[in-house]
Amino acid sequence: MGLLTVLKKLKQKEKEIRILMLGLDNAGKTTILKRINGEDISTISPTLGFNIKTLVHNGYKLNIWDVGGQKSIRSYWRNYFEQTDGLVWVVDSADRPDRLEDCRRELHSLLLEERLAGASLLIFANKQDLSGALSYEQIEELLDLRSIQTHHWHIIGCSAVTGANLLAGMDWIVSDIASRIYMLE
Amino acid sequence: MANKSKSTRPQNVTPEMVLKYTKPTDKFLCPLSLNKYIEFLEFRIRDMESSKVVFEVKRPSVEINWKERDLSGGDELRTIAYTFPVDFLSYKTVGTTLVFAVCPEGIQNFRMIERHYFKGKLLKSFDFTFGYCIPNSVNTWEAVYSLPELTEKQVQEMVDNPGSTLSDSFYFVDDRLIMHNKASYSYS
Repeated sequence: MGLLTVLKKLKQKEKEIRILMLGLDNAGKTTILKRINGEDISTISPTLGFNIKTLVHNGYKLNIWDVGGQKSIRSYWRNYFEQTDGLVWVVDSADRPDRLEDCRRELHSLLLEERLAGASLLIFANKQDLSGALSYEQIEELLDLRSIQTHHWHIIGCSAVTGANLLAGMDWIVSDIASRIYMLE
Repeated sequence: MANKSKSTRPQNVTPEMVLKYTKPTDKFLCPLSLNKYIEFLEFRIRDMESSKVVFEVKRPSVEINWKERDLSGGDELRTIAYTFPVDFLSYKTVGTTLVFAVCPEGIQNFRMIERHYFKGKLLKSFDFTFGYCIPNSVNTWEAVYSLPELTEKQVQEMVDNPGSTLSDSFYFVDDRLIMHNKASYSYS
């Protein structure tokens, strides 16, 4: 592909990025999404479908999809894989050991999905504000992240309640995607 | 009853067609009865600078009976006249949120196209593909976008011409038009 073709593609695509946010129920996906956008987070109920935000971040048009994480809904996740540039996996760092095991299994099965093969992966070790929360290093260990060879990945501890590290995480995934799709700018 | 609703035949109205429109349509392009798929629950507008909700409408929280929904009625049901404070025209960035419920069968491919006009000139066009919608789901979409900066003269013109800011909203299921709504906006 010549430079001219690349430039053309850049122009046509309007720098749109699609991010899919998944994780077990009660991990804090919707709270993160709302927090990033300066919305009220005092009343959030379980997501029985999706929440989408379309916004501009660092010059890119982001479409962030938060799909409900309840067990009955997880089988529908695959309907949202197409054209995903980045996967944000949200973890409740204060969750029970058996749930963290579910969390590890669900994540690793997603990574086998062909339609997510090219996606950058950000893991939010959420709820760092809770006293019982595991550190991001412990989450990294429990989710066996070191074994991931197929995706660019990055883990960051965060709190949707205080807002800590949310933007740092989003910046990482957007720039990782941008450097792959839109070349270095 | 049949002549109460002004609409043309539903076939052949495609997303590609409505994306080429340069002015509001004269008529509704499909009958009300085609929407067996979605029900709007909420619509709100947020000023992003203050993060305040400046407009909100909600459907009363009565359970939706998908089998016996009343899809009759006239065009007044799909024509909305908004009156906003003049302040709205000075917002730099707004977020518009749409909340909708989906029928028990779910939807394979859902897409919305909305065209906004002032005095017959296209101001803004939204084209969003939701794609798959989970059976019986409740879904939310917020679009955050900058508004074009208006001169004082333009603001005055919009205030002075209450019936001239119009929009057409087209909703497609599997590329077939299933709903068409119209809105007019006035500022005072």
